[in-house]
Amino acid sequence: MKIGQALKMAFKSLSTKKARSFLTMLGIIIGLAAVIALVTYAQGQNLAIKAFYDSQGSNVLNVTAYSWGAAGSNTAAQQLYDYCLGLDDVVGVTPNGSVYSDLTITYGAKTLSRQRNYVSMGGGMMVSEGVSDEDHYPDIRLGNDKFGLCGDYKLARGREFNYLEVQNMAQVCVLGADTAEYLFSFADPIDKTININGLPFRVVGVYQSKAAGVQLGHSDDSQWVAESLKYQDKLLLLPSTMTRYFNNNEPIESYTVKVRSADAVSEVVTELNGFLAGIIPEGSGFYGVDNPSGYAKDLDEADAMQQRFLGIIAAISLIVAGIGIMNIMLVTVTERTREIGIRKAIGAERRSIIVQFLIEAVMICGIGGVFGIVVGYVATALLTKASFGLVIMPGTGITVGAFFISVVLGVIFGLYPAIKASALQPVEALRAD
Amino acid sequence: MLIDIRDIYKIYNEGKESEVRALNGVSLQIDRGEFVSIIGQSGSGKSTLMNILGCLDIPTYGDYHLDGTDITELTDRQLAHIRNKQIGFIFQGYNLIPVLDARENVELPLIYQGMGLEKRRERSQAALERVGMLDRQHHRPGEMSGGQQQRVAIARAIATHPPIIMADEPTGALDSKTGLHVLEILHSLHQDGSTVILITHDNSIAATAERIVRLSDGQVVADGKREEVFS
Repeated sequence: MKIGQALKMAFKSLSTKKARSFLTMLGIIIGLAAVIALVTYAQGQNLAIKAFYDSQGSNVLNVTAYSWGAAGSNTAAQQLYDYCLGLDDVVGVTPNGSVYSDLTITYGAKTLSRQRNYVSMGGGMMVSEGVSDEDHYPDIRLGNDKFGLCGDYKLARGREFNYLEVQNMAQVCVLGADTAEYLFSFADPIDKTININGLPFRVVGVYQSKAAGVQLGHSDDSQWVAESLKYQDKLLLLPSTMTRYFNNNEPIESYTVKVRSADAVSEVVTELNGFLAGIIPEGSGFYGVDNPSGYAKDLDEADAMQQRFLGIIAAISLIVAGIGIMNIMLVTVTERTREIGIRKAIGAERRSIIVQFLIEAVMICGIGGVFGIVVGYVATALLTKASFGLVIMPGTGITVGAFFISVVLGVIFGLYPAIKASALQPVEALRAD
Repeated sequence: MLIDIRDIYKIYNEGKESEVRALNGVSLQIDRGEFVSIIGQSGSGKSTLMNILGCLDIPTYGDYHLDGTDITELTDRQLAHIRNKQIGFIFQGYNLIPVLDARENVELPLIYQGMGLEKRRERSQAALERVGMLDRQHHRPGEMSGGQQQRVAIARAIATHPPIIMADEPTGALDSKTGLHVLEILHSLHQDGSTVILITHDNSIAATAERIVRLSDGQVVADGKREEVFS
């Protein structure tokens, strides 16, 4: 018997029992949809977190140092900075502070500002929702001439700050790709002057987009990574000394240190901890040395565990669906004993009977698989929209894999009923009602 | 010799108390082109005999040569091929597949031969025309009368051009007029060269054959020309 005929016949049998076929498919549909949505969700979550750490650049340490008392932090920070410069394995160090208050940035008709609504909550003030211009309002950071090196930013145009500009609180700035594009569209921002809270600042450099670099890649994951990196392109970098003006002269407590190589990282961590313990005695302040690539490693392990866990859930739901298929195929074989007898009487080989019932099972699974993928896409879209605020689609790998699994499921769970059908003796089968 | 069975036994539950000898040493030879009626009371073993002749069942003991081939030596698959190519079955209960229409039912054995669409269509049209059912080819069994269903079943039996037609009580579920019509078709097939084996309990139907074999308690009690058996 030819395979085209077998497909046609299988479709005919399934369509005579529409409700039953659909209900059998439902198990596959729900199982596959759950697998696709959960796996994509977990992948996305892990990728987003990993992308964040990776985008910080490799071999980078985040150091925090704070000591109580007047001018204490300033001294600690300055000492740390000087100490780092003296270490052979450190290639760069930059203060890495934020401007906490909301600024208004203008260039021509373009304005970046935000109004956060402060509401009274249990005695304290909380920032509530209702932020305007959130889409493009940049992260305003305070750094020095090594900020690009330490933050893994590459220059698209212009230059970094120079040493004197940082020392002298020069009114200069470097822009992230998104911020530059928002303010200047396609014009060249270099040497243009923007206003920050009324003060003129000259643009000396523009960084390359981190997100765009990723999108050039071909992997399924690039969409995730690019989305999670977009916000790092919203950047306004000011000389670290500007903390005097914008942060009421509060000292910057965070530093980013770039280490020469991965091998040297743990040694530098030890050195820094030792040094900071010396200058900030217990009780007089706090300090910390964070190694983001260390987190990334922990994350990999957590990731693997999560994948295993999801794999088990997926396997259970698919086995349940498969048993449903086997059950219904056994019922079908029993119901159609006479038909099997007729087919054998007019010359069907065992093989033809096996193929017929196997194709019916595979067809249920295949059609269920297609619907399951569609439902899975919708579920993934809803889930990622709700969790990450952006719609992420499952990758080709998981989609093709899911369909393949559903077909294999049909073969595995359809085989026993099919063999059972083919083994019926024609005489006995013909006697059935 | 087309069909040659010697000392065939079919024994159920052999050696137990409930042992049943459906066939108890049957020998029978049928030549190409004969029209043979096998008659007997219900329980005489005639249906068991037909199942064995039709390769639907295997004897417990005995030899069966079909057109020179030793049937008892054949595999499942080879038996399927013999059922497909050598024998056309007509059953009392028509045994059409309800989800397929008349034409699809007729083409089913041809599909199992792997015959291409064009040739298959040609054969099914010819077979349906022969039994006068061409205009009903798109009707499903449920939409046809018993007589019409039996004619479609005959079309299915002859579509593969088998040398042997086996009919098991083909008129049993039909009124006498339509039964007669079915019988006429069988005789015309015989006229065209087919070997026809007709199994019935009805003497008047059996009497349309030249040769009658009478079974009783699993044994052949009479075998000869119509006039001899019904004397």
